[in-house]
Amino acid sequence: MGATLSRRQFVKSGGALFVGFGLVGRNMFDVPAAAAAGSKNSLDAALASSWFEIHADNTMVLRTGKVDFGQTTAHTAYKQIVAEELNVPFEAITSVVMGDTDRTPDGGFSAGFLEYGGANIRKAAAYTYQALLDLAATKLGVAKSSLTVQDGVVSGGGRKISYGELVKGQELNLTIPVTGDLTSMFGLTVTGNPPMKPTSEYRIIGQSYKNSVTPSKVSARETWVTDVRLPGMLHGRVVHPKTLGSTLVKVGDLNKSRYPNAQLIVKGNLVGVVAPAEWEAIGAAQQVAADTQWSDWKGLPASTDLHRWMREEADWKTTPPAKGDKNKGDAASARHTAAKSLTATYELPFMKHAPIGPTIAVGDARADGSFYIHTHNQNPQALRGQIALMLGTPVDKVVVRIYSGPGHYGRSNGGNAGAEDEAILLSQAVKKPVRVQWMRPEDLQWSTSSPPAVSNIRIGWDASGRITAYEADHYMPAMQDDRLVGALLAKLPTPPAPDVTVPAGSISSTVNGISDPWIYERVPNVAETGYGTFQIGQKASPLGIGLRDHSMRTPGQLQQNFPRELAISEAAAQAGTDAIEFRLRQTDDARLRGVLTAVRDASGWQTRTSPSPRAAANGGTAVQGQGVSAMLRSGTYWACVCHVSVTPSTGKVKVDKYTIAVDPGIVVNPLQLKRTIEGGALMGLSHALYEEMTFDQSAITSRDWLSYPILTMDDVPEIKVVILPHPEVGAYGGGSEAANALAVSAIAAAFYDATGKTARRLPLKAAYVQSVLRT
Amino acid sequence: MPSIAFTVNGSRRDVQAPGDTPLLYVLRNELELSGPQFGCGLSQCGACSVLIDGKETRSCTLPVSRVAAKEVTTLEGLPGRWAGQHGLAVASIALHPVQQAWIDEQVPQCGFCQNGMMIKAAELLEQIPAPTVPQIKNAFMTGASPHLCRCGSYVAILDAVQHASMLIARQKGSQ
Repeated sequence: MGATLSRRQFVKSGGALFVGFGLVGRNMFDVPAAAAAGSKNSLDAALASSWFEIHADNTMVLRTGKVDFGQTTAHTAYKQIVAEELNVPFEAITSVVMGDTDRTPDGGFSAGFLEYGGANIRKAAAYTYQALLDLAATKLGVAKSSLTVQDGVVSGGGRKISYGELVKGQELNLTIPVTGDLTSMFGLTVTGNPPMKPTSEYRIIGQSYKNSVTPSKVSARETWVTDVRLPGMLHGRVVHPKTLGSTLVKVGDLNKSRYPNAQLIVKGNLVGVVAPAEWEAIGAAQQVAADTQWSDWKGLPASTDLHRWMREEADWKTTPPAKGDKNKGDAASARHTAAKSLTATYELPFMKHAPIGPTIAVGDARADGSFYIHTHNQNPQALRGQIALMLGTPVDKVVVRIYSGPGHYGRSNGGNAGAEDEAILLSQAVKKPVRVQWMRPEDLQWSTSSPPAVSNIRIGWDASGRITAYEADHYMPAMQDDRLVGALLAKLPTPPAPDVTVPAGSISSTVNGISDPWIYERVPNVAETGYGTFQIGQKASPLGIGLRDHSMRTPGQLQQNFPRELAISEAAAQAGTDAIEFRLRQTDDARLRGVLTAVRDASGWQTRTSPSPRAAANGGTAVQGQGVSAMLRSGTYWACVCHVSVTPSTGKVKVDKYTIAVDPGIVVNPLQLKRTIEGGALMGLSHALYEEMTFDQSAITSRDWLSYPILTMDDVPEIKVVILPHPEVGAYGGGSEAANALAVSAIAAAFYDATGKTARRLPLKAAYVQSVLRT
Repeated sequence: MPSIAFTVNGSRRDVQAPGDTPLLYVLRNELELSGPQFGCGLSQCGACSVLIDGKETRSCTLPVSRVAAKEVTTLEGLPGRWAGQHGLAVASIALHPVQQAWIDEQVPQCGFCQNGMMIKAAELLEQIPAPTVPQIKNAFMTGASPHLCRCGSYVAILDAVQHASMLIARQKGSQ
């Protein structure tokens, strides 16, 4: 399964090497050949969708189907990986094309950039390097093995030739082998094992290059998704139903005397308004909304009753339980014979992705039967497939173009951000391009959410403080609803709702897999079980909507790591052992021990038992505490320490210091890694202190930044990031996730240390904190 | 439709728009200034901030009729504002020190909120050229609401405002 090089045509000037791909082998989920053939347009357009172009002037274009939302991976790490494998300067890559379905090669979700996408781009570059060496060997008339390359110039037999000169005056096409289904959630994977540069020879990977997009973003030169304007474009707004299960009874009349240029569009339960001026569209939509009648629906447990409902009424039996792959021994028996044990239940609320800008897209249903969608989405090829399904059109008629947009950390990773499908449906109805931007309340009330969780943890340990048994039962509704909300409202086809079985090419199952890798390998008896169920209210909703969920930063693992790490800290306290020392006793893994000892040394951790000798649960004086957590995610080891202050009389919890140690193996870009971790850390503080989506029996009641508060500048603690490079690992682990998830259990453990009281649910808002302190 | 005249980034503009149209829509859709972003439409986040007569203001709820005869500065106008305040040729200034600091310190993650963050930083540094960290933190808590960032770039913002302050001091020293 090697790469093949062909010469397509002679060109008089210029010249370039295009690196495209050929589909080999079976599709990842053995989907019918038709599904892959549906992607034919992209595959045939190999030149346009090629991974790289190397031009005669020795500059390069890099194209990736992944969409970098700001963690800079495509603009720094991917360029560094490619430049390293090809032996070209970082600066030789002058352009990065991301996500556009007609101009990028591989598709797939935009997460695990280094673990998954990085492997693709690294192999593609390695194949290209070999092809360039073959060209040079022929041109210079020497053996390939005698060639050396520096800064894009090949030397051999006493002569030199640049890559640009190698391709000059000809158009070369390199085809590399891939497998998979382009419009599935996973996209294409590069196969085979081309020779790759030894990591010991890295010079570009490991350097702190800056993000090439930053200058345009800070000087208002970037074309954001909010800036897309097409000729004849109308502004659209959608009038969403009264509740998550309301159907349309009677649409309100549009007041044409007040909104003379507006048009009303109704398709099933999808009600939209378009107008040439945005303010008129907004006003008209509000007027129509006020006059529209919807059916009543009460099919949800209220958020105040959520966890009782999950424990007592949710259906956890239909979906098969998932067992942890590190399960071993007989944990239940071992716990019964343990010297001491802990049994506790932990709860997490629904949280919102809550991008600063609401979802927005421009749909352009063209007269020639093609459909263009201009948007910000983390899986544009999957969106393309879903739009084609919704419209009943071949996938090659649909093009998704990607722009910079507000980061939402997972909401469109296989699903949609929200407006794309509505924009194209409204465009189809009025035969003009339509720009749909949701208003703030809609973005909180009609988007998917990060699912809630309940976990029962049981830990037993012996007299020496060694854990002898760990049992975890994790309960969480389905987390991957890829259905387009506009299609549901308009009663058009969508992928299936999450169910017991997994549809081909997706991960939309109700099965709750074990997402938090077990890291304490010295524990002899481990029993982790995940219980899944349907999305809350979805089946009961006449719209099939209810509370839809989608992956959010560190998805699933946050829900499982919070109870595990908090319970282990509680067990350490009950064992009379320091919480870091207690963890070190459970593992011989040098990398895990490395991050735990590094975070202990860097944070000013006091080695002692918990709670603190000065702990207090009442009074108006702030009390201080420390907490620790650890995690393995995407090949990266993490440990974090949070120092908090709690004022018992007010219930105010403040994080004073957040220290984190990270060992990703190879560190691609220390500066960008640090900034991304800092941001993740603060998102975690926001989860722990503020974030909970509220809802009544009918609808989400979080509707703005007052009813869904997030972290502000006032809450920013001292943050310390300790990066521990281990290039000998030979792989680059991920860095964009984990920092948020680690914060939540470390903060809760620090709360216990400060007060001697256990807070086993989040967020730590004043009323809940005060109720815990009174226990 | 009424005609409303005001100054935007140093130039006098006349716009035809219903007087209740929020300034944001006029800036983005009529004047093609894409710095300010729609975040909430409720003056709760700061993504849409502009300077009006030097004061950080949320353009998403401010009726355009209220800016008649006033001076509006958007992100696009920060370099020119800096040039004007320091007697420099507008063409010679590509970036306001705040924008340069935002690049040097690699502040943005997604960057969607950073328009308002830079507007707020510029306002602060015009009033307090060498702010303390508590003064910087306080600035981003003031105005119609705290300035919100979902990506958690606040630490980078603290670094960048201090860096901008240093750039300003250095430029003043060299004048």
